[in-house]
Amino acid sequence: MISARGLTKSYGSTRAVDDLSFEVRPGVVTGFLGPNGSGKSTTMRMVMGLDRPDAGTVTIGGRRFHDLRWPLREVGALLEAKAIHPGRSATNHLLAMAHTNSIPRARVDEVLAMVGLESVSRRKAGKFSLGMSQRLGIASALLGDPGVLLFDEPINGLDPEGILWVRNLLKGLAAEGRTIFVSSHLMSEMALTATDLVVIGRGRLIADTTVDDFIASNTVATVLVRSPGADGLAAALRSAGAGVTTRPDGALLVTGVDAGRIGDTALAAGIALHELSPVQASLEEVFMELTSDMVDFHGQTPAEVGV
Amino acid sequence: MTTTAASRVVLPDVDHGRAGFVTQVRSEWTKLRSVRSTWVCLTIVVVAGIGLSALVTNIEAGRWGTLGLADRATFDPVRISQTGSFLSQFVVGVLGALVITSEYATGSIRTTLAITSKRTTVLSAKLLVIGVVVLVVAEATAFASFFTSQAVLVAHGAKMLPADSSIITQVRSAAIPYVSLADGGALRAVALSGVYLLLLTLLACGIGFILRHTAGAIAAFVGVLLVLPLIVNVLPSSLADSFERYLPSNLGLAMILVTTRKTDFAGVLLPPWEAAGLLALYVVIVVVLAGWLLVRRDA
Repeated sequence: MISARGLTKSYGSTRAVDDLSFEVRPGVVTGFLGPNGSGKSTTMRMVMGLDRPDAGTVTIGGRRFHDLRWPLREVGALLEAKAIHPGRSATNHLLAMAHTNSIPRARVDEVLAMVGLESVSRRKAGKFSLGMSQRLGIASALLGDPGVLLFDEPINGLDPEGILWVRNLLKGLAAEGRTIFVSSHLMSEMALTATDLVVIGRGRLIADTTVDDFIASNTVATVLVRSPGADGLAAALRSAGAGVTTRPDGALLVTGVDAGRIGDTALAAGIALHELSPVQASLEEVFMELTSDMVDFHGQTPAEVGV
Repeated sequence: MTTTAASRVVLPDVDHGRAGFVTQVRSEWTKLRSVRSTWVCLTIVVVAGIGLSALVTNIEAGRWGTLGLADRATFDPVRISQTGSFLSQFVVGVLGALVITSEYATGSIRTTLAITSKRTTVLSAKLLVIGVVVLVVAEATAFASFFTSQAVLVAHGAKMLPADSSIITQVRSAAIPYVSLADGGALRAVALSGVYLLLLTLLACGIGFILRHTAGAIAAFVGVLLVLPLIVNVLPSSLADSFERYLPSNLGLAMILVTTRKTDFAGVLLPPWEAAGLLALYVVIVVVLAGWLLVRRDA
């Protein structure tokens, strides 16, 4: 269990995290979403006792980080995968970490096998690819077999097989009753992995909910309808109180009534239906919609800049 | 790959004990021994310490016949045996700084601090480990240099200085002198030569904790040893004379000088133990500042 209360942190005149409160419960994967620069990494650093909040507190299992007796065995974190001395081997890197918390050497070999790095454990970490570094970072988070785990962008640089592995690993860790807090900017991946969500923008809490509720409560139920008599159907639906917009390809997007009502209306009007499908908004669409005014760094497509 | 991350290795009970100084020392030793820069620096200390000292001793002994009486009277067979420490002082400075600045450069300091609940433990454990390693190597090198250089002198027909100080000058003018370790002050001078390198290592490490940047820390360290004396030199001589003896480089010189003998530095420098104490005080001040900043600053 991670519990943040009124977390606030400024760097100079920039307020990175602003009165942020949330809870991360054990047993499920909790996704931590926000645009670049929204304060995700700052929040994670405050959880790990690296940055000192200007105001507010954050606790791990009810205790602040600096009150933990064996930090590595109570909370594991992957914050920066490449933050390893390039001249040190993976084994020695983990061994140095293990010593601080009286973790036996055999556990080092165990986590290296777990992440699939046992064959390169003696190689210098500076020679590792980003994907291998991520795996080593995950190994270091797992080293103390902790009940609480934080992962900052864990699938960066991983190949599809690695991404699938991380997804299953995170779910497996949660199923073991651990608290799993994962930041990512890859919404589609979070939709597949996370059950709960903490969403922030500009350092403020936008949502602390489940993925399903987040999508449901932030989208208007829409049904896509194709019909040879689209114009007549649109008129009939409007008179039944529905909102109807016509797409360029002739399909209708209907809001305000469910698919059953649309079918009944079409039958009553004697108009044939070729397609009738509820549109499920993706987590990505909902997220973009909700945070569009909170993104600090907008890119432009060539068309927008007039190329 | 396994489907569970649970440890099959039995970990010690979480409810007993806590991560502390002893566990951190083990970690810091693992970190120190597992990078090549450590062994490169220590090898240079040994090779430069013994080799450079023997080389300079050999050159000096070879041109003894051409030296004037004044130069012969101030020749110090102990000091020349520690010539290599002029180079070694910079090498241990680099090593002391790198122990911490390499963690800031790679970002691994955040891993270090995120697995220990008390930050000052990291500072004290690092100082202990690097201190013990450098002290052992530096002392062994200092004594090896001493014996090597005396052997070089003997090979050039050196005569041991007698205990009777009234005839020392006469003996010096006749032949190049060498000394035994038991000779007044020699043991202390050689031992403090190693202690000097220890204190500089700790000083550099403290500077590294404060500046958190490899190039910055090494530049500051070199500045203290080389640039500070230059600045003091351009002060009015009345001021320079009163400051000079407190410079770290001159404290080091005072520590390895055999003051019972007449040398060109007699009276200018502090007595050896006072010099060692003052340099240790500088180290304490820097380390306390480093610890204060370490606890307060964001990692």
